[in-house]
Amino acid sequence: MSGSFQRLFGKRAQAHLVIAAFYAVTVLLLIASCWLFVSNLDQLFAKAPAGTVAGMERWKSDGPSRAEFGGGFWRDPAFWRSVNLTVVTATATMLIAALIGIPAAYALSRYRIPGRAGVDVLLSSVIVLPSSSIGLCMVIMLQQSPLFGLQQATGIRLVYTLPGIVIVQLVLSLAMGMSAWKAAFDRVNPRFEHVARSLGSSAWRAFITVTLPAAKPGIIAGLIVAWVRAAAEFGGILLFCGTFAERPAGSFSPLTRLLGLQQADPLSVNMWAQIEYGNVEYGFAVGFTLVLISAVSVYTIHRLGGRTFVW
Amino acid sequence: MNEEVLSNKLSATERERIAHSSLRLWPVACVTAACAVLAGYLALVGSNAIYLGWSDALSFLPRTRLWVRFWLTVRTSALATCFSLLVGIPAGYALSRFRFPCRTLLATLIDLPVMVPAAAVGVFLFGVVKSFPVRQVTELLGVRFAHNANGIVLVQFAVTVAFCARLMKASFDAVNPRFEQVSRSLGASLPGTLLRVTFPLAKNGIVASAIVVWARAAAEWEGLMLFVGGTMAKTDVMPFSVYLDWNGGMMGWVVTFSLVCVALAVTSMAAARLIGGRSYVW
Repeated sequence: MSGSFQRLFGKRAQAHLVIAAFYAVTVLLLIASCWLFVSNLDQLFAKAPAGTVAGMERWKSDGPSRAEFGGGFWRDPAFWRSVNLTVVTATATMLIAALIGIPAAYALSRYRIPGRAGVDVLLSSVIVLPSSSIGLCMVIMLQQSPLFGLQQATGIRLVYTLPGIVIVQLVLSLAMGMSAWKAAFDRVNPRFEHVARSLGSSAWRAFITVTLPAAKPGIIAGLIVAWVRAAAEFGGILLFCGTFAERPAGSFSPLTRLLGLQQADPLSVNMWAQIEYGNVEYGFAVGFTLVLISAVSVYTIHRLGGRTFVW
Repeated sequence: MNEEVLSNKLSATERERIAHSSLRLWPVACVTAACAVLAGYLALVGSNAIYLGWSDALSFLPRTRLWVRFWLTVRTSALATCFSLLVGIPAGYALSRFRFPCRTLLATLIDLPVMVPAAAVGVFLFGVVKSFPVRQVTELLGVRFAHNANGIVLVQFAVTVAFCARLMKASFDAVNPRFEQVSRSLGASLPGTLLRVTFPLAKNGIVASAIVVWARAAAEWEGLMLFVGGTMAKTDVMPFSVYLDWNGGMMGWVVTFSLVCVALAVTSMAAARLIGGRSYVW
């Protein structure tokens, strides 16, 4: 068959055909990727005038109306609180992940720790762990183990609270961030550090003045990965924290209300809730907000050229 | 005077060195952080295993209710992986080898479904299924996506295809293009070079990536929740059963399903690591 193929087309034509086929598949993937989002733009526009179905109470009748573009999401204070909550929790998660993850990634990259391969497998398996599983594991770890007694003794509650969002986001965001940071440190030749040490600087100073600047693009890329993974977390939050939008305003602490985080869900949970309850235009508007956030971060990661290793 | 300054500086760095080397604060802090991370993830899985207990695990594991969902997950994600590989291998090769204008922008567009929450991808699939090419083709073939296994495969494919292309790009990046150039210069055709040089060299990476893509497809749940919906014993793949049974309050089943998912994830990642060196998404 290959012979007849070769007789029909010359070698050069054959090569052109194969390259064209590869390009075609890539362009197809590109178009499909764009079409996934573009084909939904019409969902933002209201199709039918808003009306009440007899015998069916509209959800949140004081909320956004369906009769306008995107359910009028920009005029809804709950939407902006939700954006605020997403940004605040994702930033907090990123900072905690960086504080623990960067030294840990450095240790895994530099020192001969026994069982390093096992740690790598464990960390990368978190990336392919179902989010429902992560949420459930968190609930059981914090409610059905000695940690529950610790929470009661200290009076700190984590499940179904706003700090709980940060904790559950941390699971995936730390794993992905650490893989990026580890790759960033792996790419820095340890010889530079050895030279700095031999010239008399301490391990900390060699890290701060030599390794960290050399690994900077990869570290920033890891920070972005950690941030965007935290902002995109959905399933874990749903199981671990539930939703906050329907709770009375009085149940939130003064600090939460001062920061404007009360009665709001992270964007991904908000999108799900709006669509499940029939606010389709509003839900798609929230979805496009998420797409915008992801697009900006992915573009930045590509520009920085960081590497996120899966394994 | 110059010497004096120099000696002062030397003694300062010397003092600092001695102070730090006696404490070794930074290496200790790094290793502690690594151990804390490891302990955290082990506690996450370990607490669940302890909660379920050995006797409960033994009573839940042989039951059909588990294995129906297990095989449904394996089947659908294997099918989705096949589709992803069909698109991902050529696209990954093109991304790895060819240079084209606006690479960063186009690569961002291709990568978007990896970073957008899977729930949003599931929601956005409604528009794709309802609109021009897909709708006509599916009507012609008589394929329906709502509330059945076709929908599961579609969501898993949508979530994994870009991921697959990225991993394949990494696999092909690991193959030095010089080998291909040498093969071409010695007179082999491009398809011959691909089949005899590039694919054999990238084989390990491709197999390992396929396993990871399969694991990612098997872990898909959020997109299913919005696009397919949960029908007991019909569309509930294992991650979905975790959610459904959680709402039903069947904690034994939930933890069993969840631990089987964890076992699948860890096994496939260990297998991928054993087979092929390293791979990256970006």
